[in-house]
Amino acid sequence: MKPKITLCLFTLFGLSLNTFAQQTVKFGMGNTKNVTVTASSQDNTGIRTLIENGYLPNHNQASRFLSQATLGPNMALIQNVTSQGREKWLDEQLNLPVSFNLTNYLGTIHQSIVDSLNRNPANNYTKTTVGLDNWHFDVTWFQGAMTAPDVLRWRVALALSEIFVVSRISDFNPYPYALTSYYDVLMRNAFGNYRTLLNDISYHPTMGSYLTFLNNHATSTTKQIFPDENYAREVMQLFSIGLYQLNIDGTEVKDANNKPIPTYDNNDIAGLAKVFTGLSWGDSRYLGDTYKNYLSYTLPMKFYGKDSLEFYRNYSRPRVYDAHEPGTKTFLGQTIPARDVMQGNQDIQDAINILSNHPNVGPFISRRLIQRLVMSNPSPEYIARVATVFNDNGSGVRGDLKAVIKAILLDPDACGCPTNTTAQNTSGMLREPFVRYMNVMRGLTLTTQSGVYRNIMYRLYDKVGQVPLFSPSVFNFFQPDYAPEGELKAMGKVAPEFQILNSQTLTGYINALNEWFINDDPTDWWGYFSGERYKADQDPRFNLTADYTLTRNDKLPQLLDKYNLLFAHGSLSSQSLKIIKDAISSMPYSEDANGVPDSTSANRRVRLALVLILSSPDYLINR
Amino acid sequence: MNRRDFIKQSGCAAMGTTTLLSTLTNLTTFNGALGADIAKSAPPSDYKALVCILLAGGIDSYNTLVPMGNTPGGDNGYNEYSALRTDLAIDRNQLLALNNPQCSSFRGIPCQYGAFGVHPTMTGMRDLFNTGKVAFMANIGTLVEPIMNKTEYQSGLKKLPLGIYSHSDQIMQWQTSVPQSRDALGVGGRLADLLHASNTYQEISMNFSLSGKNAFQRGQTITEYSISNNIDPNNVGFQALPSWWSNSGYLTQVRDNAIDSLVSKTYANLLQKTYSTATKNSTAAFDIFKQALTKVPSMSTAFGTDELSRNMQAIAKVISVREFLGTKRQIFFVTYGGWDMHSNLLTGMNQRVPVVSQALKSFYDATVELGIADKVTTFTISDFARTVTSNGQGSDHAWGGNTIVMGGSVNGGKIYGSYPKMDVATYNRNISFRGNFIPAVSTDEFYAELALWYGVSPNDLCYVLPNLGNFYSYAANQYPVGFMNFNGTAISNEDLPPNCLSY
Repeated sequence: MKPKITLCLFTLFGLSLNTFAQQTVKFGMGNTKNVTVTASSQDNTGIRTLIENGYLPNHNQASRFLSQATLGPNMALIQNVTSQGREKWLDEQLNLPVSFNLTNYLGTIHQSIVDSLNRNPANNYTKTTVGLDNWHFDVTWFQGAMTAPDVLRWRVALALSEIFVVSRISDFNPYPYALTSYYDVLMRNAFGNYRTLLNDISYHPTMGSYLTFLNNHATSTTKQIFPDENYAREVMQLFSIGLYQLNIDGTEVKDANNKPIPTYDNNDIAGLAKVFTGLSWGDSRYLGDTYKNYLSYTLPMKFYGKDSLEFYRNYSRPRVYDAHEPGTKTFLGQTIPARDVMQGNQDIQDAINILSNHPNVGPFISRRLIQRLVMSNPSPEYIARVATVFNDNGSGVRGDLKAVIKAILLDPDACGCPTNTTAQNTSGMLREPFVRYMNVMRGLTLTTQSGVYRNIMYRLYDKVGQVPLFSPSVFNFFQPDYAPEGELKAMGKVAPEFQILNSQTLTGYINALNEWFINDDPTDWWGYFSGERYKADQDPRFNLTADYTLTRNDKLPQLLDKYNLLFAHGSLSSQSLKIIKDAISSMPYSEDANGVPDSTSANRRVRLALVLILSSPDYLINR
Repeated sequence: MNRRDFIKQSGCAAMGTTTLLSTLTNLTTFNGALGADIAKSAPPSDYKALVCILLAGGIDSYNTLVPMGNTPGGDNGYNEYSALRTDLAIDRNQLLALNNPQCSSFRGIPCQYGAFGVHPTMTGMRDLFNTGKVAFMANIGTLVEPIMNKTEYQSGLKKLPLGIYSHSDQIMQWQTSVPQSRDALGVGGRLADLLHASNTYQEISMNFSLSGKNAFQRGQTITEYSISNNIDPNNVGFQALPSWWSNSGYLTQVRDNAIDSLVSKTYANLLQKTYSTATKNSTAAFDIFKQALTKVPSMSTAFGTDELSRNMQAIAKVISVREFLGTKRQIFFVTYGGWDMHSNLLTGMNQRVPVVSQALKSFYDATVELGIADKVTTFTISDFARTVTSNGQGSDHAWGGNTIVMGGSVNGGKIYGSYPKMDVATYNRNISFRGNFIPAVSTDEFYAELALWYGVSPNDLCYVLPNLGNFYSYAANQYPVGFMNFNGTAISNEDLPPNCLSY
């Protein structure tokens, strides 16, 4: 069976042979099959709006699609999607290999710092003796996000980083390799399979350290020591099945009293906690061994059935403890059989199978991904369509994230507009502050002469409280069911991103716009070592000179249209555009005898126009 | 006509604007008290503030308040503690002893021990306890109704909090005190709903947060005004355009007016509307706050440089300009996280507990300096306590634990509630082999005592604390717990709308 993907087809305008009047034929959204389209004219200079991959979007639609599928469109991408269609572009992207390995890039920076320091012959540093800081991860992340061609993967990986959360606010502060290596797992699995993703994060030392099951030990009744329950709880609550039994459309299954039915209780947690025992660093010698060096965070955790810690500590008569919990392990109504503890790795594999095959995973993960990429309040039907693809990609494969991403982004609800008033009034999502930043950096094609961006994003975090892998807890920057007080909540709707909107971050964002545009300082360059010469060619500025000719009052509509398309896919209302145009028109402007605008006043007009577009609720709510 | 232009609008903005659906008033979602004026009472004549410190992650409070008795056959608390906590136990000779802590009983549940000490780094709290300015609550936690023992807990007949042991649930329930709901307003928000009308400026919330949005301060008409700990008038509001732009003053005005116009439009889409309202409310509050901050006096009380100390210092500074903010009632909220110590517990506690103790002590000293120590009550909350038994490196999620309450109006020098027995086998409030205790005191009783002191009438307690009736009903001179000093505090008899809440 072929995957049934409902294409994002819009109202098509055609010409009737009889009347030559324009007619509207709707198809696609209702899965109409075998549609034949016949040209009404012999003229071969017409513009193609249909190709074998489907309907070609206009520029605004392409821009909207890219606002969901990337960290921010630029004009070239919009043109690309406009001319080849969404699906072809998606297929191209889904087939691109991982183009940027964060850990390797971090290693390159690390080595260059070591080399620079060793130019002083008195020094003899190595990567082991030169420590890095978290912000080296941020520099690495930004470099990849600005240069990698697999832009869809970068968008999806960011979404995954807000679902399968680890954060530098933890024991691995400040070990940037912990962050890059974990992010590489998300990048690698973004177009892979959910089960593999769950497996890889469950063996990753960054997760092991963050949710404290690294070096987790079997029960010792004599010592009154029990397996750590942290990961067992959060892997169920946040990474796989959630708190309540779900229908395929994401709604909660109700019992006879109309109450939701919990998926697990504390006994399930205690049962699963026994499974995640016996894992230590990949370069460890025994369970309980400590962090060795910067590479420790880059290797999958190693399994130990038995604990030889005392032997390595040179006890005269070492006792051998079970590292992995012996016996059966029961959770979620299933029992993993008793095995020799040395075979305990199979327990972990069984547990990951039980989790990833639970019927909740499809609707649970689908809803989260839709919320990260497209909208806060997906309809049950939308969730069901995506979850169905999650459960079976059409070829019998469960958890195929490629198919899931495609189903999310090509769904009619992602590309269309709701027809009923309630859905219209609750459509869209507040763009995350960090995504807004990337919209600007990518949209305006911030370039450096060196091709290197050294941006630690420090002031950004300070102002808006968000950069990747910096959430306050495993519950992400905001939670999927957060509803701001007021009408949305009264209607039972959510708006997760509003959880980090407050008078501080709101002001912080406007003031950040001020810094990026008015103060012309969009990125933060920091020296890698004391005394390093400032490298202007790694510290980019926007070049807006091409827009100067659009700053005269009569040309302002073109200027605003351009950025309305780029940032807001044309969704700025005429009222909003008028407010902005009136403001910009009131700014000084002059030009010389040849009609060339004075560069200072033109520059300021462009910059303030950008600030206002990016401050407008029409932009901020992506819908 | 170019076919590509047929569909001008890709998004959903042009799909027709409709009139507002909601019959609700324009409920403000941020900073504001611009909604319906719920409270019309006469303003209270005095000033009072509550300061809530959320120790996010679940502090291991059985290592902050520790039994010290070592008399086998008598008060043998320390030995029972150390036998159960094994590698997590603190050496007895390092604990800081409390003078005659008078831990008695609560709701007929006896306190299990007589002698107590605090974590070795809690000198500030030890000193304030011994001078009567700090009290501890023992085995307090989230409850819908009283649960007397393990049998009742297991009976299926008692309403239990949702998601016992789950961070996201318990951290929220400590802030809402409505453990049967994932959708409740916060205690501080509901207090503000009742009392904000007594403040002069309704443009600025009486609820200040140093930690952004939070459940505690979320009411029907009030939520938090979020500030940074950089208490500087120049740090409030939108930055002006740079002076090197000629006529920057004028252009700043142009920008601000345009932003104001953009957020003053009518938006049918509720996300856009919510964002717009947030912006409008924030900008309305800026001017008042900015002006007030120019009046902050210099203060001599020294604070540490850690995040919590800087936040507490900022709160002291905001309190110092209460007159200029036109406020008689304020509620402050600050989070200090990092307590989810499944591993590295002893070291972690040694790093974080002294920060709390010192920041609170400095803050108390600052209120003394401002002459309002008896007007400010500060308390700690946390997700939950942690298992008394060890996981080899730390402890896991549990339930009832111990908290601190501090201020000049606190009947300090006592431990309230009922400290549990350090025995997982026989203690009838223990519900797990790991050592998880059914709380003796509910968050409702704790908050009710604060609310009465804060000026809520007994009739209105049911709005602030919808479940309180399961635990307590008011009678003259019979307070929910007894940790506040009501001498000279008149219990309000005003009956304010709105009516009781129920969940």
